[in-house]
Amino acid sequence: MNLNFLGVTAAITAFLAIWIGHMAVRKIEAESHNIKIPMLIAITLGLITEYFSLTTFNLQLSTALGILGITLLWDAFEIYRQQNRIKHGHAPANPNNPRHAKILAEYSTATTLDLLKRDPIGRQVSPEEAPKLITH
Amino acid sequence: MNFFGILIGIITFLIIGLGFPLVIRGERYFGYWAWVYMMSAGFLIIIASIFVQNDWLSVIVGVIGATFVWGSTELKEQAVRAELGWFPFNPASRKIKLPFADVIKKWKAPHL
Repeated sequence: MNLNFLGVTAAITAFLAIWIGHMAVRKIEAESHNIKIPMLIAITLGLITEYFSLTTFNLQLSTALGILGITLLWDAFEIYRQQNRIKHGHAPANPNNPRHAKILAEYSTATTLDLLKRDPIGRQVSPEEAPKLITH
Repeated sequence: MNFFGILIGIITFLIIGLGFPLVIRGERYFGYWAWVYMMSAGFLIIIASIFVQNDWLSVIVGVIGATFVWGSTELKEQAVRAELGWFPFNPASRKIKLPFADVIKKWKAPHL
């Protein structure tokens, strides 16, 4: 029986692409004054990666590049979605970023606190109590 | 032109999309301590993909496994989101109790 490692390649690529993309989107959105620039860069990188996936006949490489390219294209949309999370207070705003400072002034739901930075306590939490529970 | 990679990329994207309800419902019905089971299932599925001879199927099985592993690292944060009211909250008393849940609760749940 032959062993087929294509699935493992896909799994590792997907996991790393999601993980790194997840961290990069949060960091880049928090620092960017204009999110259209990183969105455009992510789209360009995604399209270039897909081009290389299309032109290689090595299945392992084609798989990894194919997954990475689509992830980069999705990351462009995630940068936009991250900005909406900031508006809703579901992710912390960066007061030193003028775009975030404007969001903080316009949206009462926006906050500089990361309300998810804690362990679950097993009961519902009020908006007043939530900031006091942040532990790390 | 080799369309294998780009089509696999799109299929991967759709499978990862299924990870969202997996995390939301996994936490709601089983609790965040289901992470041990979800992560173990993920690694077993990835190992199983090695024995799938068909390339398309091997990749699909591998990506499903990766989605489970990633989902397991999201369960703890999802539990906090439910406590904050961003998602429906289901108390522990109404959750399905998994074996060794009390032991797993003492371990630090992974989060990336």
